[in-house]
Order: sequence, then structure tokens, then C-alpha cells
Amino acid sequence: MATIVGGIGSSHAPTIGVAYDRGQQSDPLWAPLFAGYEPARAWLDALKPDLFVIVYNDHANSFFFDKWPTLALGVGAGHPQADEGWGKRPLADLPGDPAFGWHLARSLVEQEFDPTVCQEMAVDHGVLSFLPLLTDTDWKIPVVPLAVNVIQHPIPSARRMWKLGKAIRAAVESYPADKRVVVFGTGGLTHQLHGTQYGQKNMAWDNEFMDRLESDPEPLADMPLREYMERGGTEGVEMILWLAMRAALGDSVTRVHRNYTAPFTTGYGLLALENTDTGTLPA
Amino acid sequence: MDDIVSGAYLFTGERSARAYRLNKMAMAFTDAANRAAFKADEEAFMDSFGLSAAEKDLVRRRDWKGMMDHGASIYLAIKIGGVTGDALPAIGNHTAGRG
Repeated sequence: MATIVGGIGSSHAPTIGVAYDRGQQSDPLWAPLFAGYEPARAWLDALKPDLFVIVYNDHANSFFFDKWPTLALGVGAGHPQADEGWGKRPLADLPGDPAFGWHLARSLVEQEFDPTVCQEMAVDHGVLSFLPLLTDTDWKIPVVPLAVNVIQHPIPSARRMWKLGKAIRAAVESYPADKRVVVFGTGGLTHQLHGTQYGQKNMAWDNEFMDRLESDPEPLADMPLREYMERGGTEGVEMILWLAMRAALGDSVTRVHRNYTAPFTTGYGLLALENTDTGTLPA
Repeated sequence: MDDIVSGAYLFTGERSARAYRLNKMAMAFTDAANRAAFKADEEAFMDSFGLSAAEKDLVRRRDWKGMMDHGASIYLAIKIGGVTGDALPAIGNHTAGRG
């Protein structure tokens, strides 16, 4: 049986990829971010995972509003990099896991989640900005990406993301092969990319969110989207994707590592949780 | 739900439909050949996507706030910025009325 051994919440941002490619890891503004990923990376290596399930969002790079999925699951053997409008980064395509991907599709549909199942799904900075900070870029570990609409309203609720995490866990635990799975939730943290409050972030809320996600996450699922946006920006609503990661873990988790830095317009958070409870959470 | 939260637009279906052609043109900039075509002849490129006179004027004037008021998604507006040489801080500050 496959098991979820850990969960990682991480921000994503195009600028992280740019800084990585330019070798700005030691730049004073960037060092707190890059150094912050190193302990999580060491933990992840030691965890010896076989598969990453990454709950993220596309930023109108793989999908457009002609056909805009609320949930899209990448079941292909590989996931190419999307050109976001500036050319591609020097990164190899990500490997996928079709057998697990189709299993996840079947399981989600049985559990009344209905993803658009994609055999060709390019991924953007929602996956590729932070992943090189956590694993070697020869991509030894296959990725099954699950894209959630958090851009074009109506978007799913925080509660829906909580339930999605539960469904991912049930899918993993019903997979017959032995696999050690790490689930990622990525987005945010707070940022506002347009409007009168452009550039504002909410560092107190970012840290409160990470506190609560670790110790008492379930009430975060009750918070209306409007409140997420008021606290963290219309674009910062991405942070609800972390709830799927957290709900995929057990009641009891051990925080392995946490980092927070906000040198620019986005709060960059990182939370690595080891799953210490393999019992089942209440629905 | 209101259309505006803390001075920012919710990108609703109404906005997505109203600015569909503008956003669709911006999406085309995920292809290098289209980026080159726009740079070579902006007017012809905008015409090929059927932009209205008002939409073309917004692009010509690099009126980011106007584009967002009209219904652009910020994620598509920054792709237009990619071909016009305007990065997110310039776009964001313009939408905030700061430049």
C-alpha cells in the first residue's frame, strides 16, 4: 500500500525561478529564502519519497479561458515546461507517473471530485519555481500535478480544498503498490498584484496561517474566500491550496522545518511536515 | 460576491468574457513567434486577434490600469508587459494609480 509520508507547503513565484537561474542564492535579498529550503531538502532526501503529488495552480500558461478547468490532473508520462511569455528556463521536463495518475483520477471521481484528466499538461512556475530548491533537477522523483483554479471566479472554497486533501489521501492509501508519497500544496502566501493595494502583503497573517496549518488546521477550511482575499490579496487566495496538503496528512504531524521571508511583494513561506499519524482524519 | 476586494478586481466570468479577445491575444505571447510578430507590427497583430478600437488604444498607450478596468487578468496583462518591456512592478503600480 502507498502511504503519505510527508507534506510540504511552499510559495511559488516566477522571481524565485529567475533568481535561481541567475545564481542569486547568496544575494543578500535572496539568501534567506534559498538557505531556508536547505533543511527541508535534506529532510526530503532522507525521507526517500517515490512520488510527489503537487496541488498547485496554473497562471494562464497551460490553460486559457476558452477551456479553463476547475481541477486538472496531469496523468502523462512527462510534463513539459510551459513558456509563460518570456521563454523557457533551462530545466528538463518533469517525469510523470501514469499508473498512479490514472489511479488518482479514478479514485477522485469515485469520491465525487471530477478533474479534467490531461495526458499533456505543461506546468508553469506554480510547480517549477520552488521544486529545484527541494530536489535535484535531474528529477528522479516522478510528479503527478493537480492544478486548481484559483484565478477565474467562481473558484473552489477552502473547505473544498480540505476535502480534496482527504480524497488524495484515500487515493494514495488505496493504491496497491508500495510508494512513499509526499503531497505538496503551493501558492501564496499573501500578495496583491494589482489595484490600489498593489505590492501589499500581510506578514502577520502569513505566519498565523502557518501556525494554524500545523496545529489546528481544520477551522481554516471554514474561512470564506472573501476573507482570505481581504487578508491576503485577490491573488493571495492561492494559499487555500496548502489546505489540501495539510488535509492529506494525519491529525498529528511533526513540523520538520519552517521558513518565512518577504523581501519583495510576496510572503514566501515554507512548511515541511512529517506525517506521524497514519490514522484517518474525520471527514 | 462583490467585484472588488480591497481595491482589487475579482476576475469574474463577466470580466473574462468582456476582455476575452485582449486576454486571448496576451495568451498568444506564450509562443515566441507571436512575441516577434507583435514586436514587428503591433497594429496588425492586434487586428489579427480582433481587438476593438478601445482595446487597441489601451494597448497602444500601455494603459495597464485601463486594461484591468476593462477586464484583463493580471496574469495576462503581464504577458503583454513581456512584449512591451514593462515588468510587473510598473504594471502593478500603474494599476494602483502610482505611475
